[in-house]
Amino acid sequence: MAFLREVRLDDQFGPFVAYRANYGFVPNFFRAQALLPRLIEAQAALEGVILMEGKAFSRIQKQKIHLVIAAALQDTYWVTARIATLQSLGVSRFQVSQLLENLHQAGLSTAEVALLDFCLKLSLDWQTVGLEDIEKLRSHQFDDFAILEAVLTCALARFFSVLSAGLRPEPDFEPYKLSAGRSAPATKVPDRRSFAHGPHQHGRKDPYIRTVYLSPKTFAPFAGVLKTHGFIPNVYRAQSLRPDVLEAASSSVRAILITADVLSRIQKECIFVAVSAAILNSYCVAAHCNLLRGFGLSPEEGDQIAFDHHQSNLSKADKSLLDFALKLAVRPSEVCREDIDGLRALSFTDEQILECVALTALSNYVNMLQIGLGAEPDFELPRGYEQNKVHLPEAEARHTKEGLGVLPSAMAAEDPDAGLVARAQAGELGAFEELIRRHSSSVYRALMAILGNPEESQDAMQDALLSAFKHIGGFQGRAKFSTWLISIARNTALQRLRDRKDTESLDEGVEGEEEFRPRQIRAWQDDPEQIHSKSETKKLVEKSILGLPSKYRIVVMLRDIEQLSTEEVARQLGLTVPALKARLLRGRLMLRESLAPHFTTAAGKAAI
Amino acid sequence: MITCDEFFAEFGDYLESQISPEVRQELEQHLSQCRACHVLYDSTLKTLKIVTDSSSFELPASVTDRIIDRVMAKLRKGQS
Repeated sequence: MAFLREVRLDDQFGPFVAYRANYGFVPNFFRAQALLPRLIEAQAALEGVILMEGKAFSRIQKQKIHLVIAAALQDTYWVTARIATLQSLGVSRFQVSQLLENLHQAGLSTAEVALLDFCLKLSLDWQTVGLEDIEKLRSHQFDDFAILEAVLTCALARFFSVLSAGLRPEPDFEPYKLSAGRSAPATKVPDRRSFAHGPHQHGRKDPYIRTVYLSPKTFAPFAGVLKTHGFIPNVYRAQSLRPDVLEAASSSVRAILITADVLSRIQKECIFVAVSAAILNSYCVAAHCNLLRGFGLSPEEGDQIAFDHHQSNLSKADKSLLDFALKLAVRPSEVCREDIDGLRALSFTDEQILECVALTALSNYVNMLQIGLGAEPDFELPRGYEQNKVHLPEAEARHTKEGLGVLPSAMAAEDPDAGLVARAQAGELGAFEELIRRHSSSVYRALMAILGNPEESQDAMQDALLSAFKHIGGFQGRAKFSTWLISIARNTALQRLRDRKDTESLDEGVEGEEEFRPRQIRAWQDDPEQIHSKSETKKLVEKSILGLPSKYRIVVMLRDIEQLSTEEVARQLGLTVPALKARLLRGRLMLRESLAPHFTTAAGKAAI
Repeated sequence: MITCDEFFAEFGDYLESQISPEVRQELEQHLSQCRACHVLYDSTLKTLKIVTDSSSFELPASVTDRIIDRVMAKLRKGQS
């Protein structure tokens, strides 16, 4: 049994029809993803262009590359599948087992051995891959098309192996037993903190291989890339010899990363950042920290997720999701059913877990391409890297300062709460009480904004304050204490929404905001606040706000009651700024509509 | 002069004062001549002022005290 729930897809589902036609069956690998058919479509397209189309290598050669990588990663599913495909292409069982036992004595040409060695190095020991490896391939007469195709093939192999490790589909045939003496993959578990010293600078301008110009005006995938990043990053330019692959890859990115109806885009970007950091790829960390900033996350927070997400402001559940993604990325063969059950216990659905696996796989794919093609850094690195300093997780940093309560001097100067915070961090309960009294109104409003229900908000307030006390040791004064406290409240509330599966109110979705046009066109009185008493007005406003559909209520309350900036609201909710603005305007207009009867020139002391 | 649709397209940014001086000028010119858009703008602005000034969703002091007392009791119990 595979790890996740399976559903039956329609017999006419395109990729399945194609697999039945080509192989006579639908591989369990794809059946295991039937909860989200868009993932299957994306992967089938990518597999089609990389394994079937490219002209530099034969199908057999590419299947061999996949076989040796799968074997090195101890991926029984793909070893079995590739053996079956190779045999169907006429390769004998004997040749296959030679390849698995010792590829240096499998009767291959020196060029073919060099190619497979390169592919294994890129898949297992990518940190050491450099220009000299590419030169070695060139010395065996591999041209730029071939090098690109080899790197793409390796990247796809990792993509698929991460998925099979996370989903564990049953092999489609009698599983091939890898010889017992085979050692675990040589992948070291990298220390993310050593990552500032990672290979970010190569001192080159161009990728390892030739590129051609593809105009975003005529080449649709680049138009999408341009929209996302504002320019064409080198990792895409480096693949320009294969526009067909870029097209399939851009559909995959859309299907796996951009579609946000299961996990939020911010959750996804966090996975991308953490996985890239775990496999020590500063290029992808920089790229996706950049995107996180576009969603309103501060550079420090992106940084924190890259270095050590346990110290970030993420919810406990999201941290566990990242733990899972990292295990999958660096120790795929150790992922087990208990990991999946752990996530389920935190209320993650099978769809969400599946998406997390696919996303980890996709980030492996992109990371392998960047490393294998030598795409030069073209994103601004998170601040920590610029200063080339290694961040210690905060807990350790505190120990080095001998004891609690040492605050950065910058904070003491700016935050009126700094003194109390230091005392609370030293364990003084009275100081903590004073802090939460100061900010209790904001905490409550933050909770009401999201939960929209007084009883539940009061209940959540207690949880949020307890959680603040528990984590105050990790507060490092990068933001004001009040900001930090309120973000804890908000995370508490968002987690409750997730727990009751009410994510509809947070989802981005296409909602046709532009169609909404105001109906009330009667002028309002000059001084509307004088019409009703203050308490009546308050009641009216509360009633109108609570009457808004929840997704509008949240944005209006965060922006107009709590007075957060639009960027901050977008960040908190995982919306893009334009999406947030559209929703905010609509919410405000709905509010206006609902208040209008009480404030227009014709309104008297209307009944409330 | 710009149309009402064009005005509406910029309306959200106008409320947020996130707009270039040139566009602002266009919008204000439209407002001075279009009653419907003027009413929309004026009433939305008033809505925002009412909402912001209403001190909505303030928790009564007694409820705040009760919650904080409960939290502190738990913490003290945990410490002792």
